[in-house]
Amino acid sequence: MPAGVFCLGGAPLVIYSLLVLSSPVSGHGSRTGAAFAHSAIARGHSIHRVFFLDAGTLNGSHNSILPQDETDPAASWEALHREHGVELVLCISSALRYGMLDATEAARHDRSNATINPAFSVSGLGQLVDACAHSDRLITFGG
Amino acid sequence: MVLHTLNAAPSSAAFRDCLKLVAPDDAVVLLGDGVYAALEGTAACDELRAAAAALFVLRADAQLAGIESPADGFGLIDMDDLVALTERFERQLAWY
Repeated sequence: MPAGVFCLGGAPLVIYSLLVLSSPVSGHGSRTGAAFAHSAIARGHSIHRVFFLDAGTLNGSHNSILPQDETDPAASWEALHREHGVELVLCISSALRYGMLDATEAARHDRSNATINPAFSVSGLGQLVDACAHSDRLITFGG
Repeated sequence: MVLHTLNAAPSSAAFRDCLKLVAPDDAVVLLGDGVYAALEGTAACDELRAAAAALFVLRADAQLAGIESPADGFGLIDMDDLVALTERFERQLAWY
């Protein structure tokens, strides 16, 4: 068994962190990442943190409205936070470029309102490094 | 032992780069536009089989692409199986 993977009742329990670079509006990467996270938790594992980078930060938008016949990956990420307390972190430099602002950043940059879903937070790249240090696996979803 | 998640069309540079690095004790999971490499009779399909790694296709993405049954040598897997693969493989390389 790989180092750092603990065994409880015969099944290995893994601490995962996810790096998501996929935009919610193109490709399947974001949906696949969210489904992976739910599936990992269902198998008894834990998700330490999900870090969203580049176009992946768009997953934190509070203002996207999808056609009714499309599944919304943002809702699936939000459920991960709401139901399992998973930390969802948007890279701050990417988030600002894409207009993803929490209340603090909106005030700092003199914008009228926050644009991110409150289930997400905004922080620095150090949170990705920290996630790697505290997880057995980092799984990346791009494209 | 590396788990390659290949989310890139067979014509892409990422797909070519992945092929160069796949070793026989690796596993390759096709997802997104990568699923087209599981079409029998294509060069990409033959090249992946020549790498002698374990080959899989994510069922949900294959179905979205209209691929009901992948080429010989490719296993259809669900999300639960993908999680199981990440339990076995300590390292993942994401190609996209």
